[in-house]
Amino acid sequence: MSLPLNINFQQILLHMFNLCLLFGGLYLLLYKPVKKFMDDRAAKYKYADDAANEKLLKAQEAEALAQQKLKDCEIKIEQDMAKSRADAEAEAESIIKDANNTKKQILAAAEEAALREKNRMINDAREEIAELAVKAAEKVISEKAEKKVKSDD
Amino acid sequence: MSKRKKAIFVLVWLLCAAALLVSSLVIGGASPEESIKETMRDAVLHDTNKISLFGIMDVNPAVISAYTVTFILLIFAVFVRIFAVPKFKTIPGKFQILLEEAVGFFDNLAKGNSPHKNYFLGAYVFVAGAYICIGTLFELLGLQGITTSGRSITLPAPLSDINGAIAMGVTSYLIILSGGILGNGFKGVLSTLKEFSLPISMSFRLFGALLSGLLVTELVYYYVGLSFALPVVVGVMFTALHALIQTYVLTMLTAVFYGEVSEKTPKKEKIKTKKRRK
Repeated sequence: MSLPLNINFQQILLHMFNLCLLFGGLYLLLYKPVKKFMDDRAAKYKYADDAANEKLLKAQEAEALAQQKLKDCEIKIEQDMAKSRADAEAEAESIIKDANNTKKQILAAAEEAALREKNRMINDAREEIAELAVKAAEKVISEKAEKKVKSDD
Repeated sequence: MSKRKKAIFVLVWLLCAAALLVSSLVIGGASPEESIKETMRDAVLHDTNKISLFGIMDVNPAVISAYTVTFILLIFAVFVRIFAVPKFKTIPGKFQILLEEAVGFFDNLAKGNSPHKNYFLGAYVFVAGAYICIGTLFELLGLQGITTSGRSITLPAPLSDINGAIAMGVTSYLIILSGGILGNGFKGVLSTLKEFSLPISMSFRLFGALLSGLLVTELVYYYVGLSFALPVVVGVMFTALHALIQTYVLTMLTAVFYGEVSEKTPKKEKIKTKKRRK
């Protein structure tokens, strides 16, 4: 059977057989090994990328944890500082209170001592005045007695 | 080189070229054994000049070209596999980049057009691309073949023969059909058969594109007067560009149709359609 354009089934099949040979050969010798190399390299890079991402994620988690710990520490420090401040204020108040009490006691004791000294001095002065008055009276009396004796004489 | 020497060199070169041109035009060639009509007819039909295939049968010269191209490609592949592939490095050299680009280009073409099933398609379009590209460029080598009548002819591009182009188109169609079967089973076969004109269009597109180049080249080489400078332009226009364009067109079409027929069609929900009817 003659077909137009010199189409020949036998030669078409020969061409297809040639394509089949070429496909098998090029696939096994060129395409497969090159693609395998490319895929392996891509997988290697993907693995490295994934590992790096995983490490980055872990680092970020660790950083977040550290930040949280830092925040907790700051809060704890603030709490401790507030507590210490409160304690110190309470202690200071207590010391001031004790000092005030001591001051009052010292003042009271001093006042009492001063009063006692005052009273003692007043009593001493009275006694001295009395002695002086007696002495003055004795002197006046003796002078008067001498004058009387003299006048009597 | 001094200016004077340079001028003398250019003058001698131009004189030699002019002398050769004039002598070739004056003396003329041997009278062609075929008329231009016969040459053109043979370029299209390949019915005059036959070459014996190992003494088994007489075939068109394109068959010999096809087997020669395959032989060249396979030898190249063997050398690459033995000497280049084992020395591949993670950071590639120039030759490795070239190979990886070639494989990567067709692999991406397959992945881009057929995201579901593409490994086999990638391999096929790579081989088809290499065959079309090298097969078309093969014409530039000008390898000679001896016809059964004892005449020496230049081996043509394998795909400039209608039988080679049909084989390529039909093989591509069969690959698309296999994609349809793999992807969708019987439905895939039907959707592929719907595109029954595909093998014809693919074959004749290839044949037409390469034949046009071949005819112009034949015409140019037939006349001595056209054999100066023009073959360079014609060679580039109709061989190098055709090699790239036809490679891209056929592989792209194969990948697109393969992707279409292998894409899984969603199952229709019968219950919902029944309810809608009610």
